[in-house]
Parts: sequence; structure tokens; C-alpha cells
Amino acid sequence: MSGVVLVVVWFLIAYLLVLNGAYLVLSFVAMKTLRDKVTLRPLENLPPVHQALVQPVTVIVAARDDAGHVVDRVRTALALDYPQFEVVVVNDGSRDTTLEALREAFALEAFPEVYWRRIPVKAVRTIYHSRLHRNLRVVDKERGGTADAINAGVNTSRYPLVLALDPRWMLRRDGLRVLVEPFVDDPATLAACSTVRIGADGSGGVEAGAADLPSSLFTRLQIVERLREPLLGWARRNAALAVSGCAILLRKDAVVEAMGFRGDVLVEEMELVMRLHRLWREKCERYAVAVVPDPVCWTRAAATLAQLRGERMRWHVGLAQALAANRGLSGLAHGGAVRWLAYPFLGFFERYGPAIEVLGFLLLAAMFVLGLLPGMVFVALVALAFALGFLVSMSGLLLEELSFRLYPRWGQALRLAIAAVVENLGYRQLVAIWRVDALLRWWQTR
Amino acid sequence: MERTVLFPDFQTAFALTIASGAFVAGLLLLAAIALLGTVRGWRRRRMAAIESGWRNALSQAVEDPQGAALPRIGVRDLPHFLEAWNRMLESADAETAERLGTLLSLHGIDRRALRMLGRRSTRLKLAAITAAGHLREQRAWEQLEALAQNAGPITSFAAARALLRIDARRALDTLSHAIPAREDWPLARLASVFEALGPAVVTNPLITMLLRRPRPGLDRVVKLARFGQPEKISSIVRGWLGSSTDPDVLMAALACIEDRADLPWAIGAADHPEWRVRMAAARAIGKVGSREELPVLLQLLRDPVWWVRYHAAHGLIRLEGLQPHELEALREGARDSFAADMLGQALAERRWS
Repeated sequence: MSGVVLVVVWFLIAYLLVLNGAYLVLSFVAMKTLRDKVTLRPLENLPPVHQALVQPVTVIVAARDDAGHVVDRVRTALALDYPQFEVVVVNDGSRDTTLEALREAFALEAFPEVYWRRIPVKAVRTIYHSRLHRNLRVVDKERGGTADAINAGVNTSRYPLVLALDPRWMLRRDGLRVLVEPFVDDPATLAACSTVRIGADGSGGVEAGAADLPSSLFTRLQIVERLREPLLGWARRNAALAVSGCAILLRKDAVVEAMGFRGDVLVEEMELVMRLHRLWREKCERYAVAVVPDPVCWTRAAATLAQLRGERMRWHVGLAQALAANRGLSGLAHGGAVRWLAYPFLGFFERYGPAIEVLGFLLLAAMFVLGLLPGMVFVALVALAFALGFLVSMSGLLLEELSFRLYPRWGQALRLAIAAVVENLGYRQLVAIWRVDALLRWWQTR
Repeated sequence: MERTVLFPDFQTAFALTIASGAFVAGLLLLAAIALLGTVRGWRRRRMAAIESGWRNALSQAVEDPQGAALPRIGVRDLPHFLEAWNRMLESADAETAERLGTLLSLHGIDRRALRMLGRRSTRLKLAAITAAGHLREQRAWEQLEALAQNAGPITSFAAARALLRIDARRALDTLSHAIPAREDWPLARLASVFEALGPAVVTNPLITMLLRRPRPGLDRVVKLARFGQPEKISSIVRGWLGSSTDPDVLMAALACIEDRADLPWAIGAADHPEWRVRMAAARAIGKVGSREELPVLLQLLRDPVWWVRYHAAHGLIRLEGLQPHELEALREGARDSFAADMLGQALAERRWS
């Protein structure tokens, strides 16, 4: 083997070891967090929270051309189990009958409410109050996009905590009670993010407890992929940056101070959470971004390859945008684990990792075809990538087993283990190719 | 003779060795998952059987602690037993609690629980601390006091709660500095404890804490003050009106205004640079003011901050002696459109409520 080939081979070995090693470390850190939490929860939650001192929450429902579902979405929001909350629906310039559907279902009437424009958004036309639900208001505004609509909801909110309800996921009925706990226990909390679970029908079919394991292998692959996510591990060092697609309860004054969600990024919530980290670290003020491990937030799995591709590409572009928008995190004087660990890890391994992996293996394949690389070396590297991926997937499954045991039956564990094997035989590689594609497209449009 | 070389080079051998190791480790994790599931299932069934014996004994003890037959509790099962016992005590009345406590003393479990206070495991320690509180265990006082002052947030808070159970007045005296200062003790949970203790117990300690005006932590004490006797607490808090410029202190004092005699302070606070104080002033004036205070509320209705204008508008509506048609006239005649709009909103909210 020539010197160049040797360098490529060793670089790939080192890359795979560091990447998967980091995932394993994060997984074990998360295990410790979960174990402490699950073991101590019955005792640490005593005495109960006094209802009068729990911060009330504004649930924001942004809707655009959603006449078919918006009423159900609002009813789901109104059915949440929480002592004091309001629902603010923002009609983002719908061109269909969204507003009419809301008006009819909830007996809305225009109300002379003074709108407080703390975050700049597109013009608000009318604010409606419901005759049926005292805690429901509807803001009708000009079309401006999801971020703009949520910001309008934040402007209209009367309560100190806000949660933007997303049609992509379903919050358990008592989800707000669980999400608010970090705010109760630590007044410096700026955001509490749930981890996301994939359910058979997008809801997990649960109030709380065990869940149904979807029958499709394609869905189970996505479940295993989610279990590998290292968010909880990062949270132990207050360094959870790549938060997306989940329920995030936010302190409103922090959102306003940060000037709200940005409309020019694909994953708004991830960018905002990174920005909160940056702003609070720049101010050198104590803060916390908590991750709630309880299975309170469920999402539907992608049903087709095209849908999955769209989701993964969106996430990857969103990550790249958020990292670029918050470059300042890498030079903070008091950056802590965010500056020294999380940001570099995301910036290198998450953003460029798929490109390194895809290019590396393409290069190896080419060298093998050209006879520059012995077949055995090629096989060894593929085996290494597979085995390390399998190990990380299994650590994710163990994490699940140690914590909430959503899939307690033998058969379920076995089917997930099979998915963990299959995931490394094509699925992950396919996702990596899509992510490279996303990165290239993002570079072109910058 | 030529040697057979299994791997032609070091990097192949290295990669394959690591891959084999990782694969075996993955399989071991899979086995661990299966084993964990089995062990958990076995443990759950065993605990269910044992707990049914305990439950019977605990139920008997509610009637007759001397006659209750409690099965022997091994070292490993003691934390589980104490947790079950603690759970039962959380919702028990005083008489039941006493009988269940007697059951523990008769079987020597109280002494075993005391010994657990010194254990390193947080779980064991928490179970023992909570049990000591329920047992009103005076012998644990010093240990609990040390834990309340020094240990981490969960353990120290549990110890503080146990002290409050053992002797509330003494504990409030001991913890009077920690309650305002320890921000890691969740206020909303502390509030539940204060509510359970009742105004007769918490009022005097709250007064002591309020008079000390702890910085930081005064806001915590002020929030807890709602669980004291209002007449005693508010007279102290109102006294701050003339002696402080601190926004938190002033806001708390303004919230306690019940009498026209204090109105001059509220009117003075209407010009405060901090908007939260102006908002509190608007609420206070609306609560006890009359038509004479109309100019101040109209001034607050033109405030640049939304919440100040909102409370000023609601203050105007509450103002004694002001008729609905006068309010409409005020709205129509307002030269400031922000003020007119806010008054319009407040009037509409009143119509809707």
C-alpha cells in the first residue's frame, strides 16, 4: 500500500473510533442521568408542587392552510392537563377556510385587544376570543411563515412560559406538567426539551407506560436511530444544542430577549436553543437548558423513503444553518462544555461526518477497484464501521431498557435488536448520503 | 517452511480486532438487555409477593399496631419497605401515622432506618430521611440538620422537610436562613410544605424572615408570605413602603395595600423607573383608590410598557365611584391612542367576564 492509501485508511479508522467512542461515552453519561432520575424520582418529587406557584403556560398553535386539521389540533391543546394555561392559535395568512373553521368550532368573536409587538412580525389583522373557552385566543395575521407565526404567538402570550405545538408531534396529556418540572426545580432554566419517541400511530398510544412497537421494519429502523441520539448525555453538562422536532417549553422573556424564532432557518427551534446558549454564555449568567427524558412527546415515523429523505435533509441543513448562525459559541470566554465539547462535536462530526464517511468509503472502494488497496483492508474497515455502529445502537437500546422500558416484551427487544443490526447494513449509509446531499445544496444556496 | 500470515498488515489486524471487540461488546449489551428484562421481571414478581405481606401488616397496624404481623425484613428489602411505608404515610392522618410509627418501633425498624441516614447511596439516605420525618424521630435531629445545611439539593430539601415534620417551630428557626437563600429548594414544593403546616405555625417565622429582608431571597419569602396570617404579614410588608427603594420590596409592599391610608405611597411609586413597580402601583391604586386618583391612573394608562397600561386600565374600571359611561367617555376622549385602545380592551374584557 502506498503512503497516501495508508493515510486514508488510518484516518478512517481514527475517525470511526472517535465518533463512535464519543457516542458511547454520551450514551453511558445519559444512562447515569436516567438511572439517577428513575431511581430517585418517587422521592425527589415530594412534596408535590403547589399549584399556585407553578408558572402558567401559553401553548401556541401556528396554522396555515390547515382547515382540515386545525380544529382537532386546538381541541388537543385545550385538553392538556395543566393547572393554568392558555392556547393562542395563530392563523398565518391562510388562503383556505382555516379561520372560518376555527370561528365556527370555537365561537370566536373579534376582540379589541391591544397587540404588544415585542418581536417584529408581519401585521396582525384581528385578535379573536372564544365564547366557549376563556383560555383560547386566535390571532389572524398576514402570511409570514412558521417562525413569524410563533413569534406573533409569543407577542400575544400573557404567561411566562411558552410552548409552540407542532403538527409533527403529539404531546402526552400531562406533558406540560412533566416539562415544567425543570422550571420548578431551577429558576435559571431557559428551556426544557423533551426527547422524542416514534409511535405506531404517532402518539405512542399511551397516556403513560408501555408503548406498541410498530410492525414495520422501516419504522423500527427509525426508532433505533432515535434511541442513538445523544441529547440526554449532552444535557448533563448543560450542552444540549441540537434540539429539534420535539416539545420545547421556553421562558418567554428569554425568547423575547433573543428576538424570537428566526424565519430564515429550516429548524427554527434548534437555532433558537443554540442562540440562547450563546447569549446567556456571553452574558456570563447562570442558565440551564434541560432535557426531559420522560416519553411525553411522540412523533409519527416517515412512511416513505422520500419522506425520510426530506426529514433528514431538512434536519441536516437546519443543523448547518444553526451552527453557522451561532459561530460565536466557539470563541466564548466562558463557553464551558458548549464551547469545548458540544459545538466542536456538532460542527465536525455531525455536520461534516456524513461527508467524511461517504467520501472515505467511496475513496476506499475506488482504490480497491484500482488495485491500490488489498481486499482484506477494505473488508476490515467495513466490518469496523458496522460493528461500532451496532455497538452504539445496542447502547441506545440498553438506555431504553434501563429507563422507561417502553418496549418491555422479549419479542419487542428482539425485533429492535434486529433493527439495530439492519440499521448498519444500508440504512445509515443511505441517510449519510442524503445528509451529504443536503450539505452540498446548503453550500450552493449560501 | 513459509509461515501463514492471517492478516497482511497491521491496520487490517487492528481494524478487525476492534471490530470483533465491538461486535462482541454489542452482543454482550444485547445479552445484558435480555438479562435485565428477566431480572427485572423476577424482581417485580418477588417484590409484589413480599409487598402484599407488608401491605397486610400495614393495614392491620392501622387498627392494632401491637397485633400486626410484619414479616421479617431483610437488609436488601429494607429500602423498599421504607419507601412503601413512606408512601402510605404521605396521605395518612395523624392517628394512622402514629400507629404505623408504632409498628416500626415494635420491630426495631426505626433504629435500622436511623443507621441508614449515614449511608452513601442517595436512594437509601432519602428513604431513611423521609422515614425519620414521619416517625418524628428526635434522635435524628442533628444528623438531619447537618444534611439540610450541607447536602445536595434533593437530600438537603428532604432533610429540611423531615425536620419540619419532627418539630416545625424549631425547624423553621433553624432553617430561617436557608429557606430564602437556597434557590435549589424548589419554591413551589416548599409552598406545599408551608401550606400543610398552616398559618399558626408559619406566621411568626415568616415575620422574622421578612424583617430580616434577606438579599438574595426576599422574593422567595414574599411569595411564601401568602401562607401566613394576612393581617400580621401585610402590616410588616406595608411598612416597607416608606423605607425601601428596592423594586422587589416595593412590589411586595404594594401588593399588600388594603387601605386608603397607604395610597400616597402607591401614588409615589407610579413614577418609579422600574416598570414592575409602576404596574404594582396601578393595581394598588385600582384596588383602594377613588375618583381622586383618576389623574394618576390616566398617567399610568399612557405608560410605554404594555402591562402597566393594562393594569392601569383595569384599575380605572375597578376605581370606586366611576360609572361605565364615564369610562367610555374617557376612552373616546383619550388623545393617546395606546391609552384609548387599552381602556377599550379592559372594558371589553369586563363585558365578556
